Amino acid sequence: MPENTPYMVAAYCITAVILLAYAVFLYRRTLKP
Amino acid sequence: MNLLKAGRWITALGLVLLAGVYVRALAFTPIERTQGVAQKIFYLHVPAAIWTETAMILVGLASAFFLFLKDPRLDRFAEASAEAGIVFGSIVLTTGPIWGKPIWGTWWTWDARLTLTLLLFLMYVGYLLLRGAVTDAGLRARYAAVLGICGACLVPFVHLSVIMFRTLHPQPIILKPGPPSLPAEMLVTFLLSFGVFTMLYVGFVMQRYALSLLREEAQHA
Repeated sequence: MPENTPYMVAAYCITAVILLAYAVFLYRRTLKP
Repeated sequence: MNLLKAGRWITALGLVLLAGVYVRALAFTPIERTQGVAQKIFYLHVPAAIWTETAMILVGLASAFFLFLKDPRLDRFAEASAEAGIVFGSIVLTTGPIWGKPIWGTWWTWDARLTLTLLLFLMYVGYLLLRGAVTDAGLRARYAAVLGICGACLVPFVHLSVIMFRTLHPQPIILKPGPPSLPAEMLVTFLLSFGVFTMLYVGFVMQRYALSLLREEAQHA
């Protein structure tokens, strides 16, 4: 079902963005607590 | 600080391994016959959902023990777990509707599982807002502990909602009596993904706990 591919790609991209964003946010906060 | 460094390393390793899970899920795991590639969202949605629920259970347990023992380490852990839980909760609430659109034909429906998951997410938001709103450290810890216990009481209803109510959401595939209803290749991918999400939870909580410690030290200095 290739018509489902954009949904899967969107879900994988959003998950990666959320996890990376929080990891970076946490890293920056711990540099200057 | 050792805890902070260890947390950073575990998070970094978790993110690298997440890339490996993506490769395995997308290229080396078979495509499900009826749902097509949209089923692969399961490998991210379900581990995130398990950690959203587990993080709140841990917040509740730490909060309950805090009320008896008054140990600030428990309060720090509850805060760290709640912040990690909200991250996984936002993954659940975005990947779920993205899966729902091609499979159900709608982004959202107000059925029991979806509504209770949203309520759990709002509990996390309320918990962190409450912590931000109360300035007195002792009161903040006590009020937050009560809300944390309420949040943990919601988790069994979230998990069992697909059994207790008539709902569009699929029945449990992994966390249910009896063996998981997945072919071996899909189960291995799921377990790898769950392992990586566990690492990320541990890494996030360690860093967030260390941040609370650093802030307390800075205040006392």
